Amino acid sequence: MKFLLKLFEKQKSLFEPGGKLEKLYPLYEATDTFLFTPADETLQAPHMRDARDMKRTMVTVLIAMMPCVLFGIWRAGHQHNVVNQISNTGFIEDMIQGSLLVLPIIVVSYAVGGAWETLFAIVRKHEINEGFLVTGMLFPLTLPLTIPLWQVAVGISFGVVIGKEIFGGTGFNVLNPALTARAFVFFAAPKTMSGDGIWTSVVDNAQVIDGFTGATPLAVVAQSPDSANIIQTLQSADFGDGFTWMRLFLGDFGGSIGESSGPACLIGGAILIVSGVGSWRIMLSCVIGLAAGSFLMNAVGKSGDFIAFTQLPFHYHLVMGGFLFGAVFMATDPVSGSATNQGKWIYGFMIGLLAVLIRVANPAYPEGVMLAILFMNVMAPLIDHFVLKAHVKSRELYLRRFKPHV
Amino acid sequence: MRTNVGSYKIKHGLDLRLMGSPKPSIADAFNSRSVSIYPQEFEGIKPRLQVKQGDIVKRGGLLFFDKKNERLQFRAPAGGRVSSIKLGPRRAVTEIEIEVTSNEEVETFKRFTQEQILTLSRDEILAQLLETGYLAYIMQRPFSKIADPEVRPKSIFVNGMNTAPFQPDIHIAVAGDEEAFQAGLNTLTRLTNGSVNLCLAENPTRPSSAVMQANHVDIHTFSGPHPSGNASVHIHHIDPISPGDQVWVAGALDVIQIGKLFLEGVLPVTKVIAVGGNGIQESGRQYYRTRIGGRLGSLLDGKYVQESQRILSGDALSGIQIQADEHLRFYQSSITVIPVGRERSFLGWMLPGWNQFSTSKLFLSSWFRRSAFWNLNTNLNGSHRIMVLTGLYDQYLPMRIMVDYLVRAVLAHDTNEAVKLGILETDPEDFALCSYVCPSKMDIMGVIRSGLKEIEEEGL
Repeated sequence: MKFLLKLFEKQKSLFEPGGKLEKLYPLYEATDTFLFTPADETLQAPHMRDARDMKRTMVTVLIAMMPCVLFGIWRAGHQHNVVNQISNTGFIEDMIQGSLLVLPIIVVSYAVGGAWETLFAIVRKHEINEGFLVTGMLFPLTLPLTIPLWQVAVGISFGVVIGKEIFGGTGFNVLNPALTARAFVFFAAPKTMSGDGIWTSVVDNAQVIDGFTGATPLAVVAQSPDSANIIQTLQSADFGDGFTWMRLFLGDFGGSIGESSGPACLIGGAILIVSGVGSWRIMLSCVIGLAAGSFLMNAVGKSGDFIAFTQLPFHYHLVMGGFLFGAVFMATDPVSGSATNQGKWIYGFMIGLLAVLIRVANPAYPEGVMLAILFMNVMAPLIDHFVLKAHVKSRELYLRRFKPHV
Repeated sequence: MRTNVGSYKIKHGLDLRLMGSPKPSIADAFNSRSVSIYPQEFEGIKPRLQVKQGDIVKRGGLLFFDKKNERLQFRAPAGGRVSSIKLGPRRAVTEIEIEVTSNEEVETFKRFTQEQILTLSRDEILAQLLETGYLAYIMQRPFSKIADPEVRPKSIFVNGMNTAPFQPDIHIAVAGDEEAFQAGLNTLTRLTNGSVNLCLAENPTRPSSAVMQANHVDIHTFSGPHPSGNASVHIHHIDPISPGDQVWVAGALDVIQIGKLFLEGVLPVTKVIAVGGNGIQESGRQYYRTRIGGRLGSLLDGKYVQESQRILSGDALSGIQIQADEHLRFYQSSITVIPVGRERSFLGWMLPGWNQFSTSKLFLSSWFRRSAFWNLNTNLNGSHRIMVLTGLYDQYLPMRIMVDYLVRAVLAHDTNEAVKLGILETDPEDFALCSYVCPSKMDIMGVIRSGLKEIEEEGL
């Protein structure tokens, strides 16, 4: 690798101030430090620094997302092959088919978003932030696989530019950029983002499998008549055994690309928690909030003629829709989430609670996790503000304890 | 007679497991033929020079005084000929070098016995400290500058435990100067109406009774990782600083120097310095009893490869870089030599990380090599990124301070908020570990330093 290093260092003068390509320095820097760890030294105390940097932190998040990505690809292909009744297919064929469906979306997201990111880095004369590696992957995972690619491009552009860069770039954004991008597409192109026909790839004129309607489990619940038995309704929907809890947990059903698998999300969550990159407080409090919300709804629904959705048990809420994915990867974004430890508990709890409320009480959209997280993103600074106020108060009390001594 | 009045367990922090710790035994090293004094070391002092090149000075002879307080005088650490006076930008004096003569003359000051010191008035003690410049060993908090003699501090803290890497252990360094240590403590007791708090490690490896059973002071013990040995942490737990308060702080090694001055009536010649770090050969890593202000070369020459090392006055976390041809600083009690790190590794972000040390869990070494000692260098191990509020820093500062928000308040020049969040209780050195672990490679010490400066200039 010595020759590659030499090659790069030789070109450096081109990109440095005064060089021909000086404007493209961020691009050079990003490639250079991607290939080789930087040679930068500490300029002042502390004269030594920990081995951890942002690159490694972000790459860890990316690794944590890999189970979701791989499962999403397999599921896309598997669903395609099962629903369209394509015979003689196995794991390999599922993966190939899934890659054809999913990879273009990921590629467009990275390419277009990356271009914006680079442009802003050049104009603002700072380095390209590794955070985009995560945003660029999170966004596609929240999309239905049938989305037109131009919408992916527009969506990620909105997420990066409006969701992040106009606030000043990474670290200054109020909302999670990937979710902002999704919300934009969700409201701007509702036809491609909600409904029954978009979650599974169906070949034109194909003989689809018996019972297949394309509805997601949340849509099935939302559409079931008042006072219906919700568990039975779920099990009689879709093909095969319907939406059993185990199937919902394992994730082999229609939904956004990366969100459906419980195990994949749990592996990702475990990686984030064990590595210390993601906040376990937020993840746990999201689940507690979801539990509180669903128990509350269950109790309210018992007392009269309420819509069937109120009867959905907690453990179904947990594995349906994008809850686990959102709690593990979206809510834990340190920039848009709550930063204080106490704040994280409130922030996560409210996300879980609001997710249930929006699911059950809002007739317009069956899924509420995205909106719950975005709403709490907006609230997070306020929560932290109150935590900080309490902290200042407790400091004053502590200092006052020593006053009589003077 | 005061005794042990409190013990504190510190949980947050980190002891870096570094290779190159100094052997705790004292060797003599007097062969420096020159000494220097660096006036810019004394924060807030405007020196008016009283010597010129070629002058012959006594040990203890006047070199310069403070324009703002002419009673505060700084004196030559050794007798001889002023061989050079170096000027920096705007003709500020940066260094006064003295060529030591073998038969130096010595300026004398008042001398007292240990018991007499206890009967001296505050003014008598301050007069001697001002006249010799040894007041500079006593720092005020907040703002870490030379104590203001007009102010009566609410208490005084003597730091007898420095938990930063490779710092001299007072229990060992005090050997031979036990009486001076007690005399130094005695002088401090006369400067405050409050208590003099001697803060010690809970379980010293080789306890010295002169330290463990020091008289006339309150002894507090602290256990736990660095920065449990930082004065700010001691103050925070024992007698915290509210806005408007002032406490004074002195290092235990410096208290010995003050004690020697009062017992002997002359400026002491030697002090104990710890030399450590993986940049210097093992034979060189130990404690030295050496000339105050002496040449670094007299301790280091032949014991390291000069080109690829960084030499620090102080420790690797909060020390200051100095050059090999310079002299020991007034406040210096250790030399740390660490290798320069400019190596670049291919696809470093992807490497499993067996050979890298991290406090995070992102490297194999953090799981499987927890008891290893590390050969760290000056590489930044990443590049500068924007700050992200994570609460990570709070795990490295054992005080009631939310570091993220304090840093943010300072960056926003919100001095009111910074004071409320506790900046006055701190010193930049307290944030060395926060900087060390920061994945965005922020200069948190620098941020806090500028914040304190801003508040000091604005006034409280």
